Amino acid sequence: MPRWQKLFFGVAFLALACVPAWGQGTPAPPAPIPVPGGDVLPPLFNVFSPGVGAFLDGQDAEPNIITNFTGHVAMGYTLGTATDNKGNQYAVITDIRIYQGDYVGGVPTYIGGGTTSAKSHGTFVLI
Amino acid sequence: MQIPDDAVKITDNAVTISLKNASVVDQFTFPGGAGNNLGIAGVPATLSFDITYSKSGAPRHVKPTTTDPLSPFNWAGEMWDATNSGTFSLSYNDGTFSAQGSFDSAGNFGEIGFERNGSFGEDGRAAKLPATPGAPYPVQNQPNVALAQNTQGAQQPPSGPKFRGKIPIRDLIH
Repeated sequence: MPRWQKLFFGVAFLALACVPAWGQGTPAPPAPIPVPGGDVLPPLFNVFSPGVGAFLDGQDAEPNIITNFTGHVAMGYTLGTATDNKGNQYAVITDIRIYQGDYVGGVPTYIGGGTTSAKSHGTFVLI
Repeated sequence: MQIPDDAVKITDNAVTISLKNASVVDQFTFPGGAGNNLGIAGVPATLSFDITYSKSGAPRHVKPTTTDPLSPFNWAGEMWDATNSGTFSLSYNDGTFSAQGSFDSAGNFGEIGFERNGSFGEDGRAAKLPATPGAPYPVQNQPNVALAQNTQGAQQPPSGPKFRGKIPIRDLIH
């Protein structure tokens, strides 16, 4: 057997030997699903802007970016200041949101990666 | 971005978050992303922040006013107006830039509460699903590397390759 064939079989064996170990890792949690609607800027972003005023969607607009969710939500728009490592000053505007609860996300189930639903618990932050 | 459960504390009147060394990408335009930045994908950075959201006033009982799945008014919950304040620090991974600062709600809109949407809505379909093995998410507020790995894991398929059938190795080497 030529040397290149030995090398090929060696590499192939190592690759196949890794497959069982690969598949035994702890499964990742289900991928959360974005809310289907959102603000069109354009394009469409799967996030609404709760609040009253210009460019906002209304006080009772959906604050979540995850659908199929039940749990705690916190959000708020802020103003502030920052200073960098050269002493420059900046104005800071933030919209930071927190979600903690149960959700139904997608897990890859079919050979092509097609999903089915799975319920899980998680904490997420929108920065 | 998924984060550890213990990064967030929830009490009757407040929600606090203390996130350390989260891996982010500093975008120079909004919307971000390589396409919208004309090829500039942003700078990898590390972000830490502490924020406290505090309830104020009486709760609002929100009910869905439409069944349109694309509407912002297709959810239910009990929400309170909220003020918030926080501090943050950020540094580029290559060390060329860092900044720190503080912010507060300054009269802008904020809210905290409990909500349900989608399949947890009125028909309660989601309640019938079993919990997924492998959940819940790890509970430690982890250092940068572990947090980054877990964050990536939240958006990727859970396991390795799913080979099926036989691979004709002999066909490959001829």
